Amino acid sequence: MTNLIEARGLSKSYGSYQALKSVDFSVARGKIVGLVGPNGAGKTTILKAILGLTSYEGELKVLGLEPDRQRHEIMQKVSFIADVAVLPRWLKVENALEFVTEVHPNFNLERAKYFLSKTNIPMKAKVKELSKGMVAQLHLALVMSIEAELLVLDEPTLGLDILFRKEFYNQLLTEFFDEGRSILVTTHQIEEIENLLTDLLFIRDGKIILDASMEEIADKYIEVMVSKENAEKAEALNPVMQRDVFGRKVYLFEGVSREELELLGELHSPSVADLFVAKMKEGK
Amino acid sequence: MNAYTVKSFQALVKREYWEHRGAMFITPMAMAAFFAGIMILGALTGDGLTVNEHKFSFLDHLPEAVEKFEGIDQEERSKGVQIGLYAPMVLFGFVMLIISLFYTLGSLYDERKDRSILFWKSLPISDTTTIASKFISVCILIPALYFVVIAAFQLFLLLFTTVGAWFGGSSGVTIWASSNLFGVLFNCLMSLIVASLWLAPIWAWLMFASSWAKKVAFLWGTLPIFLISIAEGWIFHSSNFIEMVGIRIASGFAILNSNMNNLLGGDMFDVPVWNWYQTFGNMEFWMGLFVSAVFLAGAIYTRRHRDES
Repeated sequence: MTNLIEARGLSKSYGSYQALKSVDFSVARGKIVGLVGPNGAGKTTILKAILGLTSYEGELKVLGLEPDRQRHEIMQKVSFIADVAVLPRWLKVENALEFVTEVHPNFNLERAKYFLSKTNIPMKAKVKELSKGMVAQLHLALVMSIEAELLVLDEPTLGLDILFRKEFYNQLLTEFFDEGRSILVTTHQIEEIENLLTDLLFIRDGKIILDASMEEIADKYIEVMVSKENAEKAEALNPVMQRDVFGRKVYLFEGVSREELELLGELHSPSVADLFVAKMKEGK
Repeated sequence: MNAYTVKSFQALVKREYWEHRGAMFITPMAMAAFFAGIMILGALTGDGLTVNEHKFSFLDHLPEAVEKFEGIDQEERSKGVQIGLYAPMVLFGFVMLIISLFYTLGSLYDERKDRSILFWKSLPISDTTTIASKFISVCILIPALYFVVIAAFQLFLLLFTTVGAWFGGSSGVTIWASSNLFGVLFNCLMSLIVASLWLAPIWAWLMFASSWAKKVAFLWGTLPIFLISIAEGWIFHSSNFIEMVGIRIASGFAILNSNMNNLLGGDMFDVPVWNWYQTFGNMEFWMGLFVSAVFLAGAIYTRRHRDES
């Protein structure tokens, strides 16, 4: 089984509002997939469906199991951080470790203790006595100590300062991620994780509008910095987006060959953020 | 049920204790400490009290009291001591039921309010195991913890009166011999548990309400009961439903204090009183457990399928 997640015709309606409109996608083992979209596009609905937290129509397999019926089995191999501040405030750090050890067959207590020993989190403290950054560190230490095959992160660093955010993803990459696992992550701070991602999923209005690996994106989407005199030539090639930088124009092209573009100016790979803006404006 | 389910279940019950230690254990401990403190303080300062210009001394009266006590017929004496030991159950039992009420109302609502449900749901624990652990917490864990405190307080009462007996010139052995201590302790434990099980349909209903309340779980838990009663009054001009609920609750108190009631001659309550073991022979007890199962199934379904956002 190479695909940890398989969705075919995945749909979800809230009354007459269609949050997901027959979505197809898959997440293969060993990938870090960024699920990116504006608020209300259906990101959280997809994650909730994968985690068995909401009902859905269509076909969805997570580790070969169906989340709406086999949630209990799935959660032994899947972990998630749904939000920064969901650890119960009354829970003591040492009790959190004890509890997860007892309820989770794939939890490695020694690992969790090792992660915590690198922080300033006191074992006797209650969650409510910790700073927001410490709570995130604690949650990450717990989650990274679960031998999960799939880790789902929904805005895991929201409200944390930049040092914590960097450290968060850094640790995730060095201490948790390997070829046997996959991570599915949504975040608004996309520029901070774009170097981490292997694959990208863009979602808009309940539809997937981009599903590609980072290599495919680098091949397909090229940014060219063009001097004023070449501007007309560039516009003739139908750029998907343009912006002005220091008196020069930057055009973003989709599916135009490198050879052709090299004649116009300096080539770059677009940032995910720029690509996102271009894709969100497309057809609007 | 595999080994992990059992282990998870134990961890979940422990979890309930961690979260509610204040209500489940600290509160009754503080009450017991308070009453014990007042009694000790009273004994230390009460001697030499002046009432209506008559100097009154407990110490002077103690030998007289001890003599009187030891002169009573053995059966009557034992009755008196046991009533004294059962008496704290009235207050501690009442507090326990109030605390159980708030515990069940918050049991499935608080985790949604503070969004910690997203953490609990990230662990491989089924909703059935979770809700079973909360139900067992209210029916067994809370009564057991209150029992520990009550037992400690009863021992204090015996020690306290023994010291009093010493000042009255007796060894105090008669008090212990008349106490039927192990019988009293066992009856207390069982009465606490059986009373809570008798009220199980109420706890299960409140847990169900707690699982779907959007706000103010207290209103969602109590309003339907009043609405049904009002509807019944309009349509049938009767009040069977609210009477049934009221009698159920009153009988819970009666079971809790049945031991003392029976020793006192059996007229403490307006409702029929069953001992804890007589309760098992009552059809209504088993029907209550059946109704509880239905409400709990509703709570499990709601927690499982509720869309958390």
